[in-house]
Amino acid sequence: MALGRTWLLGLWLATLPGPEPATAQPVPLEYPVKAAFLAKFGPFVDWPAGSFTGPESHLAICVAGEDPFGDALDEVAREHSVAGRPLAVRRLPPRDGAEGCHILYLGEGADGLLGSVAGRPVLTVTDAAMAPAARGILHFEVREDRVRFHVDDAAAARAGLGISSKLLGLALSVVPRG
Amino acid sequence: METRALSPRWRLIPIVAALGALAVLLTGGTVAFLNERLYERQKLREAQVQAQILAASVTAALVFEDQAAAHEYVGALRVNPEVMAAGVYGRRGLVAGFARPGEPALPPDPDSDPGADPARRLTVSATVAQGEMVIGNVLLRMEREPAQRRLARYGGIGLLVVMACLVLGVLAAAQAALAKANRALAVANRDLRQQIQEREKAEAALRQTQKMEAIGQLTGGVAHDFNNLLQALAGCLSLVRKRARNPALDPLLDAGQQAVDRGAKLTQQLLAFARRQALRPEPTDVRDRLLGMSELLARALRADIALELDLAAGLWPVEVDPTQLELAILNLAVNARDAMPNGGQLRVEGANCAGLPADPGEGLAGGDYVRLVVRDNGTGMEPAVLARVFEPFFTTKAMGKGSGLGLSQVYGFARQSGGTVRIDSAPGVGTAVTLLLPRSSSQPAQAQAAATVQDGTRAGRLLLVEDDPVVGAVLADALLDMGFAVQRATTADEALSLLAGGAALDLMLTDVVMPGKLTGVDLALEATRQRPGLPVVLMTGYSEQVAAGTPFTVLPKPFQMDDLVAALDRALGRNPIRP
Repeated sequence: MALGRTWLLGLWLATLPGPEPATAQPVPLEYPVKAAFLAKFGPFVDWPAGSFTGPESHLAICVAGEDPFGDALDEVAREHSVAGRPLAVRRLPPRDGAEGCHILYLGEGADGLLGSVAGRPVLTVTDAAMAPAARGILHFEVREDRVRFHVDDAAAARAGLGISSKLLGLALSVVPRG
Repeated sequence: METRALSPRWRLIPIVAALGALAVLLTGGTVAFLNERLYERQKLREAQVQAQILAASVTAALVFEDQAAAHEYVGALRVNPEVMAAGVYGRRGLVAGFARPGEPALPPDPDSDPGADPARRLTVSATVAQGEMVIGNVLLRMEREPAQRRLARYGGIGLLVVMACLVLGVLAAAQAALAKANRALAVANRDLRQQIQEREKAEAALRQTQKMEAIGQLTGGVAHDFNNLLQALAGCLSLVRKRARNPALDPLLDAGQQAVDRGAKLTQQLLAFARRQALRPEPTDVRDRLLGMSELLARALRADIALELDLAAGLWPVEVDPTQLELAILNLAVNARDAMPNGGQLRVEGANCAGLPADPGEGLAGGDYVRLVVRDNGTGMEPAVLARVFEPFFTTKAMGKGSGLGLSQVYGFARQSGGTVRIDSAPGVGTAVTLLLPRSSSQPAQAQAAATVQDGTRAGRLLLVEDDPVVGAVLADALLDMGFAVQRATTADEALSLLAGGAALDLMLTDVVMPGKLTGVDLALEATRQRPGLPVVLMTGYSEQVAAGTPFTVLPKPFQMDDLVAALDRALGRNPIRP
C-alpha cells in the first residue's frame, strides 16, 4: 500500500509545478531533494571526535540497500562539505557492515542494518517511501508535496550524536532526548 | 552699615537663581539628548539582535529551502508591533517575508531598502551563514518611535526642569523680599536706636535741668531768709553807729559792715544761680564791656598768665545785665587762673552767631546770638567733674579758696538772660566755656552819669509793711531817724485795713513776699487803685522779677540806708509829697 502511494506521489511531484511560486524554480524531484538533504544534514550534526580518522578525513554518506538516488547524490556530495571535510558517497554491498559510515541511508531491504549500527555514532536515515516501519534517527516523509523528516533525538543521544536545534526546528516531529 | 555690607551679596541672588535655572535647563536638555542617543543605540542594537536571531533561526530553513519554515520564523516577528516588515533572502532572492498594511513592500535586494523612510523606520540586515558560507540575508524594518511619543517620554524630565526653575524663581523672589525686609528692618532699627539715644540724652538733660531747678529753689529760699537776716544786721549796725556816735566803736562797726557786705555778695551769687536775682537787662555792647574790664581782668590774673582778647568787630549788642556779665567773665577768669597754676594763656573770644537752631534740651530758642568763649590751656577737668561744675557749692578748689558759686552764677546769668552756657574740657588740654547770649534789637544807651543821692531831712507819713519783726523794727527806726512818721503793718491785709480805715499816707514801703494771700505787689496795686498817685517802694530779697513790670520803685535786699533814701526819693520825686 505504502509503496504504491509513494510511487504515485513521486509521479505527481514530477509532473506538477511546485506549491511555492515564490522560488520560481521547477519542482525538484523527490529523490534528488532527498539526496541534497543527505548532503546538507552534515553541518547540523555533531559526531564524536573519534569517529573521524583525521581532521580532514572524509565524511562518509553510505547508502545501504537499493539506491534510489543515482548520480544525484554524488553530484550534491561533490558540491558540499562539512566543516572542511569533503563528502564521500559509499554504496554498501548487501550484507556488508556500516563500518566508517557517518550518515547511513537505509534503502529498500536494508532496514536490517538498523539494529547493527544502534549505539554507534552513525546518523541513520530511513525513508517512509522505502520502509515505513523502519525508524532511524532521521526519517524522510513526503507531506503536502514536500520532502520532510522526523527526528528521533533520543536515538541520536544514544548514538552519541548531537543534532542542531535548527534542524530540529524543521522536523515534522521530534522524539526528545530523555 | 551691616545691611549695606550685606546687600551686594543679596542683590546677586536673582542672577544666581537665573544661572541656576539655566544650568538646570542645560542639564535637562543634555540628559534628554544623551537619553535619546542611548535610546537610539539601544533600539538599533535590539533590532540587530532580533535580525541576528532571525538569521540564525532560518539557517536550516534556507539550507533545506523550507519556505514554510522560513515563513514561520519570519511570521513569529509579527507579534512585535515595532517590526513593520521582515524578509528572509536566499541566494536567489526573497524567500519569505511580510510587510504590514500600509508599509512599502520589501525590496528585492536585501542590501538596500529604498522603500523605507529613514526618519520613521530603522532598517537593519544580517547575513545568514552556515559555517563560513553566507547562504542568505535577513532584513528587518523596525518602527522608529514617533516624535510625539518621544516628546511625551521627555515630558517628565521637562516637567521636572520647569518645576526646578519655578522653585528657583520662587526662592529667589522670596530671598529678594527677605533681603528687602531685612534692609527696612535695619533702617528701622537704626532709627529706633537713634531715637533711644536722643531720648536718653533728652532725659539726662531734663534730669540735669530738674536737679538744677531744685537746687535753685533751695538756694533761692535759703538766700532769701539769709538776706533778711543780713538786712536786719546791716540796719542794726547803721543805727548803732548813728546813735552811739562813738568813734571808738567805728572799727568794730566797719568790720561788721564788711562781713554783712560779704554775706550780701554771697546771697547775690546764690540768687544769681537761682535765677532770682534782680537783673537789669539792657542793650549792652559786649566789646565795650570787655575792653572796659580788661584792666580788672589783668589784675585778677597773675603775671604768668597772658590775657588775650579776640573780639570781632561789629559784635551785636546783647540784652543782658552788664554788671552780671562782667561778674560772669570775672568768675570765669578766676577759674581759669586757678586751673593754670604754672601759668598759661587766657583767651576771651567774641563772635556773632547768626541763625542758631533751637535746642529745647538747653532751653535755647533759635535765632541770632553773640558767642563769648573764655578759653584756658590749664589742667582741664575729668568728665565726672565736668558734669557737676554748675552746681552751687561744688568746688575742686582747696577749702576757703573758692565759694563753689562762680560757675553757678555764670549758669544762672546765661539762662536768665535767655542764653546758655556750654563747657568743654579735657584733662591736660584746658577748658573752654562758651556763653551764648541773645542778640538785642536795640542799641546800647550811652553811659549815664551816676545819680547822686540827696541828703537831708525827710518828712511825710509812711506806711511800712514788713512781716519780719527784726527787719521791720530796724527799718522803722531808720525811717524815724530820717524824719518820716512811720506806721507799721505786718501783712498786706493789715495794710489794706489801715487804708480802708482812712489812714493818712504820703508813701508806702512794702516787702514783696509776705504771709497771707496777697503779695506786696498785689498790695501796691490795690493801694494805688484806692489812692491813685500814692508813691510805693517795693523791697525784695527774693524775687525782683515779681515786681518787674509794675510801675513801682523796686529796692533789692539787702540794701544800705543810702539806697533806701535814694529809692524813697525816686518814688517821691515822681509824686512829690504835697505840703
